[in-house]
Amino acid sequence: MTLDPARRLFSPEIEAMPRAEIEALRDEKLLGDLVPWSYKRSGLIRETWDAAGITPADITSMDDYREKVPFIDKDAIRSYRDRHSDPYGGLLCLDPNDASMKGIFSAIFSTSGTTGDPTPAPYAGRGPSMLVREFWELGCRPGDNFLHCLFTFRGPGIHDTIRGIGATPVFVDHQPADVEQLFRFSLELRPTGWYTLSGPLIMMIEEAATRLGVDLTDVCSSYEGVIFAGEPIGPRARRRVEDWGLELFIQTSLGDVGAATECQEHDGSHMWEDTAYIECLDPEGTAGVADGERGELVSTTLVDKVAPLLRYRSEDLVRVTREACGCGRTHGRVWPLGRKGDEVVVEGVSVLPGDIWGAVESIDETNGLFQVIRPEREADRLRLRVGYATAGTGGLPALRARVEDAVEEAVGLRPEVDLVERDVLLRQGPPHKIPRVTKA
Amino acid sequence: MTFAREFEAPPQVWGVGRVVVGDDVIPWAVSEIDIEDETEIAASHYRSLGLGDGDLVLVVALLSQAIHAVPLEQAAGRVGALYSSADATRFDAFRTASLVRQLEARIVIGVDSEVLTGLADLERDPRDVFSTVHAVVAADADAQARLTDAGIATGRWLRLGPTSAVGIPDQPWLAYDAQRWHVDEDRGELLLTNVADRLTPCDRFRTGIRGTVPEPGRLVLA
Repeated sequence: MTLDPARRLFSPEIEAMPRAEIEALRDEKLLGDLVPWSYKRSGLIRETWDAAGITPADITSMDDYREKVPFIDKDAIRSYRDRHSDPYGGLLCLDPNDASMKGIFSAIFSTSGTTGDPTPAPYAGRGPSMLVREFWELGCRPGDNFLHCLFTFRGPGIHDTIRGIGATPVFVDHQPADVEQLFRFSLELRPTGWYTLSGPLIMMIEEAATRLGVDLTDVCSSYEGVIFAGEPIGPRARRRVEDWGLELFIQTSLGDVGAATECQEHDGSHMWEDTAYIECLDPEGTAGVADGERGELVSTTLVDKVAPLLRYRSEDLVRVTREACGCGRTHGRVWPLGRKGDEVVVEGVSVLPGDIWGAVESIDETNGLFQVIRPEREADRLRLRVGYATAGTGGLPALRARVEDAVEEAVGLRPEVDLVERDVLLRQGPPHKIPRVTKA
Repeated sequence: MTFAREFEAPPQVWGVGRVVVGDDVIPWAVSEIDIEDETEIAASHYRSLGLGDGDLVLVVALLSQAIHAVPLEQAAGRVGALYSSADATRFDAFRTASLVRQLEARIVIGVDSEVLTGLADLERDPRDVFSTVHAVVAADADAQARLTDAGIATGRWLRLGPTSAVGIPDQPWLAYDAQRWHVDEDRGELLLTNVADRLTPCDRFRTGIRGTVPEPGRLVLA
């Protein structure tokens, strides 16, 4: 097949599908396949549904699905894991030792482990993922080189996907130690796409460029786009990266059933509704919220038959719209707002990490590295742990006062700030993010 | 579910990884056929290590080592095993410890001195972390020595140019595939020549590794 490099969409027949067809496809995959499959094979789904007194025979429409199917969440998975000594938390639908599964069930990857033990994630088969659509949207085309800058524990899906658009992966570590090679490979091999960039990596790139006398506009001049992932990006970091000449495409997790990425309109991240059914519900209840209103993202896979999640309460606070995008895509879009469990309430004021991100980041010495210390949801004081690279001209007391002033101006609460050398926070990585909320 | 398309002329280059010789980092392009060929070699190493049907191998590596590590990953399936992955970094050592425990890995390949330092940061004793593992395969001499000193059966994974050589625990040599690669030596340095076709050819490529070749298919590190 020859793919016209000038075409805007990689799979227009899917990406610009009329909504009625998207919904018909969803119904067919979910009601006709995933529901009976998961109930029959997933211990957790069967246990949860049995407790609710339903079986797949009770789910004949999407109204049934929304009204009757019970939720699962991370606690339910962990509980099943502990009660049954099952590392997959009752989600695994295939037997890896079944001879017929050889060649299909191939590997077990893991979540980042930012907040605890990494969770094993079974993986079946090989081949490109739906990210082919995003990589094409960046502007990467067949014959191009593509910088694959990530980790090993996410599996081969990304480099298979890069080849899936006819490009060649160039492998670089998402690590401070490899930034020099990132510069070199960018300059010598002239990649057009880059997956991924993160807050900590931006910091390391800036420092290495200063140390080595590298012009980042040269390094970045071949890139059509770069996907930023891991955690939100603050306005200051965004400006810096755009000064290098990079166009950023923000990616966010889609309730552990996929990812959603911005298009060139930069107006929300596209969630592919041929691969996932996404609900946006009242964070404290079960009712759906109106289009564009803040709610909790609840995810259902339409493609994962190895370890399917059905009505998984992600605790991610988002806005969702099903309105068509200016790019011509008809699939919904999502805007991440924060994590339900990250909210801290001080003197009646609700604060999420995103509310203070820009304020902390505005103090150069911090590079935006901070944590909210949150033993409980309700607290007497807003407590922050803030990393610094250098104390600046006024020393640590002056730095602390500047951070306190900036945060107070942003949220109306004067925080208690514990300054730590930034490596104390970076060591809590994975390298592309740190836990932004901690109990102590 | 298939998301990609089949191209009339798929990219000849599977990917661009690297070969490291001393302080030099050499960008190294490999083809799909190269990767498949190296996967067969890795499967042979796994059989020597005792990995088989129903087992799990944990591959500890870096993405920049993809041309060496992906064959190790794919080869698990060739012997009926599964694989999982962790980064060979100090920060990601917690993942190695966690996945060994959770997934009951039989073989762990690629543990290096950075990972051991990371375990020490976590106050984790390698003897406890790897107590249920049949064999640990170290990725550098320092890690091999530290693990062996701790009483852990430890082999060695050597990135030899763009291929790999592997030694099983308590064996004084490392095995390489003499059908596909020719290794000789010059003043104590191992030189590599491809016998099977490779996208990036090697003609007495200076590996920067010191050792001897007592017989084809076996090398001993100095």
